[in-house]
Amino acid sequence: MENKNQYWRGLEELNKDPKFMEAKKHEFAEGIPLEEVFTEEDGGLNANRRDFLKYFGFSISAVALAACNKTPVKNVIPYIVKPENITPGNANWYASTCNACSANCSILVKTREGRPIKIEGNSESPVFKGATCGSGQASLLGLYDNERLRMPMANGSNSTWEATDKAIAEGLTAANTIRLVTGTVNSPSTLKAIAEFTSKYPKTQHIQYENNSLGSIAEASKIAYGKKVVPGYRFDLAKVIVSFGADFLGTWISPVEFTKQWVSMRKAENKNMSRHIQLESTLTLTGSNADVRYPIKPSAEGAYLVSLYNKIAALAGAPALGTMPTVELPLDGISTTANELWAAKGSSLVVCGTNNVDYQLLVHAINNLLGNNGTTVDFKNYSNQHYSDDAAFEAFAKEVEAGSVDAVIFYNVNPVYSYSNGAKLAEGIKKIKLSIASNTNLDETSSVCKYQTPDSHYLESWNDNEPKAGYVTFTQPTISTVFDTRQMQESLLRWAGNSASYYDYMKANYGSMSKDSWNQAIHDGFMVSEVAASTVTFNANLSETVAPAYNAYTNNKTKLELKLYSKIGVRDGAHGHNPWLQELPDPISKVCWDNYAVISNATAKDLKVADGDLINITAKSGKIEALPVLVQPGQPNNVIAVAIGYGRTAGGKSGLNVGKNAYPLQTGSSIEITAEKAAGEYELAQTQTHHTIEGRALIKEASLNEYNKDAKAGNHDHHKALKENGNLLTLWAERDSKGHRWAMAVDMNKCTGCGACVVSCNAENNVPVVGRQEVLNSREMHWIRIDRYYRFHNKDNNNITKENEYKLEATGVDFENVSVTFQPMMCQQCGHAPCESVCPVLATVHSSEGLNHMAYNRCVGTRYCANNCPYKVRRFNWFKYRDNSQFDFHFNNDLGRMVINPDVTVRSRGVMEKCSFCVQRIQAGKLKAKLENRTIVDGDVKTACQQSCPADAIIFGDINDEKSEVRKHFQNDRSFFLLEEYNVQPSVAYMTKVRNVNEDLAGAPHGAAKHEDHKSEKEVEHHS
Amino acid sequence: MSYESPIRDQLVTGGKTYRDVTRDITRPLENAPSKGWWIGFSLSTLVLALWIGATTYTFLVGLGVWGLNKTVGWAFDITNFVFWVGIGHAGTLISAVLLLFRQKWRMSINRSAEAMTIFAVICAASFIVSHMGRPWVAYWPIPLPNAFGTLWVNFNSPLVWDVFAISTYFSVSLVFWYVGLIPDIATVRDRATTKARKFWYGFFAMGWTGSTRTWHRYEVISLILAGISTPLVLSVHSIVSMDFATSLVPGWHTTIFPPYFVAGAIFSGFGMVLTLLVIAREVMNYKNYITIEHLDAMAKVVMVTGTMVGMAYITEFFVAAYSGVEYEQYAFLNRAFGPYWWAYWTMMSCNLLAPQVFWSRKARTTPWFLFVMSIIVNIGMWFERFVIIVTSLHRDFLPSSWTMYTPTVIEFAILFGSFGLFFFLFFLFIKFLPSINMAEVKSIIPTHAHGDHDHGHSHDHNHDLAEKGALHGN
Repeated sequence: MENKNQYWRGLEELNKDPKFMEAKKHEFAEGIPLEEVFTEEDGGLNANRRDFLKYFGFSISAVALAACNKTPVKNVIPYIVKPENITPGNANWYASTCNACSANCSILVKTREGRPIKIEGNSESPVFKGATCGSGQASLLGLYDNERLRMPMANGSNSTWEATDKAIAEGLTAANTIRLVTGTVNSPSTLKAIAEFTSKYPKTQHIQYENNSLGSIAEASKIAYGKKVVPGYRFDLAKVIVSFGADFLGTWISPVEFTKQWVSMRKAENKNMSRHIQLESTLTLTGSNADVRYPIKPSAEGAYLVSLYNKIAALAGAPALGTMPTVELPLDGISTTANELWAAKGSSLVVCGTNNVDYQLLVHAINNLLGNNGTTVDFKNYSNQHYSDDAAFEAFAKEVEAGSVDAVIFYNVNPVYSYSNGAKLAEGIKKIKLSIASNTNLDETSSVCKYQTPDSHYLESWNDNEPKAGYVTFTQPTISTVFDTRQMQESLLRWAGNSASYYDYMKANYGSMSKDSWNQAIHDGFMVSEVAASTVTFNANLSETVAPAYNAYTNNKTKLELKLYSKIGVRDGAHGHNPWLQELPDPISKVCWDNYAVISNATAKDLKVADGDLINITAKSGKIEALPVLVQPGQPNNVIAVAIGYGRTAGGKSGLNVGKNAYPLQTGSSIEITAEKAAGEYELAQTQTHHTIEGRALIKEASLNEYNKDAKAGNHDHHKALKENGNLLTLWAERDSKGHRWAMAVDMNKCTGCGACVVSCNAENNVPVVGRQEVLNSREMHWIRIDRYYRFHNKDNNNITKENEYKLEATGVDFENVSVTFQPMMCQQCGHAPCESVCPVLATVHSSEGLNHMAYNRCVGTRYCANNCPYKVRRFNWFKYRDNSQFDFHFNNDLGRMVINPDVTVRSRGVMEKCSFCVQRIQAGKLKAKLENRTIVDGDVKTACQQSCPADAIIFGDINDEKSEVRKHFQNDRSFFLLEEYNVQPSVAYMTKVRNVNEDLAGAPHGAAKHEDHKSEKEVEHHS
Repeated sequence: MSYESPIRDQLVTGGKTYRDVTRDITRPLENAPSKGWWIGFSLSTLVLALWIGATTYTFLVGLGVWGLNKTVGWAFDITNFVFWVGIGHAGTLISAVLLLFRQKWRMSINRSAEAMTIFAVICAASFIVSHMGRPWVAYWPIPLPNAFGTLWVNFNSPLVWDVFAISTYFSVSLVFWYVGLIPDIATVRDRATTKARKFWYGFFAMGWTGSTRTWHRYEVISLILAGISTPLVLSVHSIVSMDFATSLVPGWHTTIFPPYFVAGAIFSGFGMVLTLLVIAREVMNYKNYITIEHLDAMAKVVMVTGTMVGMAYITEFFVAAYSGVEYEQYAFLNRAFGPYWWAYWTMMSCNLLAPQVFWSRKARTTPWFLFVMSIIVNIGMWFERFVIIVTSLHRDFLPSSWTMYTPTVIEFAILFGSFGLFFFLFFLFIKFLPSINMAEVKSIIPTHAHGDHDHGHSHDHNHDLAEKGALHGN
């Protein structure tokens, strides 16, 4: 509707006053004195020469200055067609399965814009319960390994899949003996594919091989129970655990699963912690967490097993094994151990880490006597992890040597590196007509084969694994293949003449499932099915085991022996080229980037060597030359321990020539050696070089007895300080504590020191790898470290006092017998942060949520904050760590940088950095809650270290949230703050470590001498 | 005209007249440089080149080329910084405090001492910049209005106090030094024979006429500047010491630091003045101006301040023991008996024990011995800072982070090179500016000598006066 009404502004308009009409034409009623401006003499446009020069000069310099700031052109290419489910900036999570080792943990993979950038445990998994280990975390980097094989290769040159497949199929058809050597295969579909391959080529034999074999366990099961399986162990049901060298918290079979189980019995609040006894030949992660630890020689293990068996048999009324030889075993702890085990029969567990059928048979027998079958030793949901067939591989090695193999296919194994006689095997493989390796990298085995058919990384593959009977966990690709690789199962199918994709092939295996339940299973990442109950009856003659065990003991009593072990990062060496794992400090020795000869103090003196020296180790099967020496508390005398997994000669530059290969010396469970000092010196890169705590009250301990009597045991000074806290003077205003206040509790009783958090943090926070030399220079960049402290005892098993610690020799310290405590250390996010007050430019400031922020852009790099940090958690960028050929790790190539978390700044040279409590996760959690129109709840935000921790030792949350876990932990009587007397008000609480031991610990936080309470030990013995 | 005490020794010996003073002191300026100067200048230029090379290399590659690490965040860099700032203190003390106390013996040495201050502060400032991770943003700790948003500096941080302290110190010292130079520059201007010299010295003389009014103002401004400088003697090193004292680090967190650092600064400053003057009086033939009595007086100051510093060392131990704080106690035990014991005992013997020889007058008046002692003092004071910084940091609270610090060749090059920078500037100074304050020295030479010399030469009295610069004052 048109408005017909007339409006007018004033009478002038109505009357059409000419003056007004004229003025109306102009925008500004008053007019602009343009004429004046332009004609004015000094401001006018009629500039004279001087003015011209002024303007000219100004313009030129302004343009020049503006041009100085070179803004790099960076292209951001948006999606033309946005893929469904991918929103830039939002992460997508996929359930999958970790293939870093054959434990096959269920995981979740975080992807951003199609790139997997983080691995987390799948917390819905009933077996693995949502945690990861360091190797699992680091396996992500394998996807972005710049040195992976990029396409199939034939006879040393690049090839195509068509040509390679054709040549291989021809070769296989012509072959009379075909050997397929794989790692543990617990995937039903893969096994089916292998079966299909075998039916096409019936002359095929499938051999499963593991670098660091535990085949004897299954072998012993077969002898004892007629089932060639590794039983499922249940540390969560075991009240008494006796481990003969099995590093089940660190590297043995399925460490994440076992840690979750073990820690569930280690809650101090339950008043009834499990008792963990470890007999071992080198200080392992598990041994360092044990309540009682006996250092023994490897050759004595059998004798102790027999002795333990006999003692338990006596208690059980069963006959002893054979006649007891008249040898005195130095350990009287065996009878106590037997009593304790017997007292907990049905809920005790004995495990052994040595690959010796006799020993494993004895372990089975002991568990059988204790009635543990069906409870802690599970033959129903047995384990398919870490399976290998040693005898078959030995036979294969002989065949290769004899030249009687026509074709060999290696999948996910590297025996040329890890077999004790790898060199000879390599010679043999070179002569085989058709040799195929499907390893991802051109490693030692791959490089002697004629064909390389690179397997895809597991994050690019489909698969199903059945790590435990009745538990299938699925792998789904989270990225399309980065290179022209093909997953091995598909290769096998092609060679067998089946053109199906492996996904279809695998899905067909689950044909009975509806589409929905299949999709659900892939979505969940796992599928549980009921397994038929299985009863086992022990039926084996053990008498054969006695003589060898005792002979080994008596023959080697005074001889020098070698113990091979695997380190938590590099493990068996398969990930030797992974820089994250190489830089992960060994939990015990804190050494990165090396293996070394672990020697006890006394033996080092006998051999006249010390830290930094080199030794040559000679065994019957070979020798290792110029191995650096590390004198290690807790190491038994006359045993030299060397880690396997080092000394790689191919497969990726990060692992090349790092350490020495110890596999050639692996000939049996006890290896007699000689050792002598070699010329030269070598410094090991350790992240912690001072080992004792100098009697400082940084760690608080209590025995379970003390704790049960008094929940504040060992922590009284904290509670005293709490009472007196009002008297503490401070210069700074108390901070407002409204809204969120993020805090963390670290339960030292649970922390095993495994280092999963360290790798997880590296991945989450784009922490650069700096390499051996920089670790030697004490410049590792890790935002979280795990401090490890020893407590020494003297020969009478008394604690060494602070005063005496300075003269360790004089006090007769027992270097074989030490207690270890781990203390994860990250930024304590102090309320009164000493770093904040000293920064001249306010680059580190406090947030309203209690966080200590670091503004990298503002940092000028005075390092004053780091100096003033009492916890020394700040890390400085001494160099530019990306795009720098001096640091040729994943940050130095485009592919490797794809692992970078886009939510976290990559720090430049010259700035300080530190733990941020994963502030990007906090922000994401808050944002998510906001979008869902709710307040954030406890558990919405998990820090990377917390999420990966298999021991649940890290609890993070909002302390102002009354219902939060972290608040409960802060109120726990065991909680204390580190250096709390300095009133820096840390946001991280540590919790007293409670050990299930008989001696008193709480009275001696300063390492003061406390005589062991002999009475209480006697009592315990009577109890049992 | 000064009063001559019949019992005091002459401050300038050799019966120098005004003319002698002017001639002696302007000689190096007006003649071709001596062989000795050339050798010294070339050597220091070479060392300066080393400094430039090593510093540039650090800037290009990163601080990783130094030996610092996660635990020891400061070492040679801040040691050198504090060392050079400390050196500077003697200059201010001599020119300002001794001026206020009317110590006339200072007159022949204050010019070079002040120059030393300025050059030392330049060296010190170079370490402030080069110790930064990102030296290209070294101006950020200055509270400048900026376009970065609401960014401001942290006035709680002792490093910001440092910025003020050092910049104030530098500017006041520079102005004081320059103002003191004006009459002498005018003298050089008046004696100039070439156009260029006339122009440049004329430019810097700022139209000095030598009238009573200018002299009066000169005296007044000198006094005012002396008044401003005097608190700086105390404040600058107090503030530098607060870099450490206000921190938490055991071994740094000590209330004794401000006076202890000031005493140490004066000690080291006098050490450096001795080093320079023992050479200068030899090389430039200034023995009549910088007399044995000067050396004797400075040696006394060295002994007194050295003993004060030594007392501070011992007090620290007592306080650590008395405090009952185990970290503190360990820090001091570790200093004396830990892995850096050699540094501690070097410090102790150089700073506390060695200066005790100055109880003997023979020691105080033997130039070569003083020279050796001055080097010992310099070494000792460098080690004092090294001991404070490194031994405190390398083993602090958590033994897990304890580590060792080993300097790299680059750090040695920068330390050594900073002496190149210092001496490069100093050699330029003695070539182009009068290194002894002619105007003031003329006020303390015996008047009778003046009369003796000039007697009977009245016909060219005016010419003489002009030559001596006497027309400008005295």
